[in-house]
Amino acid sequence: MTPAIRQFITLIGKDLRIEARSRQTLGLVVVLGLLIIVVLGLGLGVQNNVPGVSATAVLWVAYLFSGVLCFEKTMAVERSDGVLSGLLMAPMDRGVIYLAKLTSNLILVFAVAMVVTPAGVLFFGFDLSAAPLTFATIMGLSIIGFTSVGTLFSAIVSSTRLQGGLLAMMVFPITLPLVIASTQMMVQTFRDRNPVGVSSLGILFAFDLIFLTASWLVFEFVLEP
Amino acid sequence: MPLAQSVKTTTPAVIRLAKLGKTIDDRPILRELDFEVASGEFVAILGSNGAGKSTLLKILATLTPPSSGELHLFDQKIDRTTASIRARIGMIGHQSMLYGELTAKENLHFFAKLYGVKSPSSRANEMLQTVGLLDRADDPVKAFSRGMTQRVAIARALLHDPQLLLADEPFAGLDEASSRSLEGLLSLLNQSGKTIVLVNHDVRQTLALARRVMVLRAGRKVIDALAGELTVEIVLDAMNGAVLARPVGADIGADVRPEGPVQ
Repeated sequence: MTPAIRQFITLIGKDLRIEARSRQTLGLVVVLGLLIIVVLGLGLGVQNNVPGVSATAVLWVAYLFSGVLCFEKTMAVERSDGVLSGLLMAPMDRGVIYLAKLTSNLILVFAVAMVVTPAGVLFFGFDLSAAPLTFATIMGLSIIGFTSVGTLFSAIVSSTRLQGGLLAMMVFPITLPLVIASTQMMVQTFRDRNPVGVSSLGILFAFDLIFLTASWLVFEFVLEP
Repeated sequence: MPLAQSVKTTTPAVIRLAKLGKTIDDRPILRELDFEVASGEFVAILGSNGAGKSTLLKILATLTPPSSGELHLFDQKIDRTTASIRARIGMIGHQSMLYGELTAKENLHFFAKLYGVKSPSSRANEMLQTVGLLDRADDPVKAFSRGMTQRVAIARALLHDPQLLLADEPFAGLDEASSRSLEGLLSLLNQSGKTIVLVNHDVRQTLALARRVMVLRAGRKVIDALAGELTVEIVLDAMNGAVLARPVGADIGADVRPEGPVQ
């Protein structure tokens, strides 16, 4: 095993151990996601007035706000007691820190999605049976892109005094292309009953690749202790 | 010898700065610093708040790059991508750099693995034994007192047996007994051959502890002399920018007038 892979696994193990012990992030983020589903559901009028496809937009709102809270919390752990300085002093490529934090965030955001998505689907009576795998692929690829950007910007925002809301203001506009693309694919799949082709999914994959590579390259330069 | 000139070193330089400067938000924090620290030296850096001490230590720790000039550590020019050199540096700060949710042993085990220490588990135990906390190995760090946390932080800094130890206000918040214990440990580490750079604010303690003392004011080095040549009054005068009563051979006045805003 190369040192970088060993360090990568060590960093993820540490994140998950801290989360398992404190249960601060996941518990809070899941509750926020569910609240968003319920509040928007009641506001829009459950089932009768909300077409299935619009439910994906509500799910997106839940993912976005839960995700941003998740990124803030996981980066705050590194900022307390100057731990980030300790990490940055370790003899490792700082890109490894980014990839590990991204993976930890992905695990948490997917865990949230596993709870929030069924709740949203049930709440809105959204029939996924036509293409459950397509739904999972579109949302999965979108969440990867969103988390790539969110992880980078959470590192930037955590080094400033302007936290609380700033992360959302920075991440939401950048992820807008992903939200639009994935929502259009949902319309195509579930309303028009027109299967999404590989080329459409390729757009999401391209977004992920661009966001992930750019964030990984830039991370070292934005990470100030 | 003028006190603001660098003390000459005869052994290989662990740290070498050439015209090093740091500017943050257009404000000069460090200005054209030149000095060398030889292997095995115990150097203390003193200065008032905002003099640039902690920024200098962050640069030496490769945590932030200089804005101008050059930094060489272990005869290697440092840039942002220099990762391997960090394996030879340890740092104790006024912050613990430890995860409160993890136990003392988990913290040490985690950092040992990051540093590629062989047998990280036994090394963690060994270091906990060294700092007298083996019986509390499985307690979370957040449950420790300040003194105990600092002992774990020292264990973390020494896990990988660094050649250069940077200490940024390590006595902050420690009681008398813990301070004495840390002083003894730093002296012991220095005697074992480790190079130590200590940032501190207690002048009397620093003069007793370090062999060589530098004083920064407004980002400039205004004193660089052997501790034995200095008195508390000389150091305090240099820190505060007063007109100095010069000891024999001192020539400080020309160098100490700050340019630009004092932070």
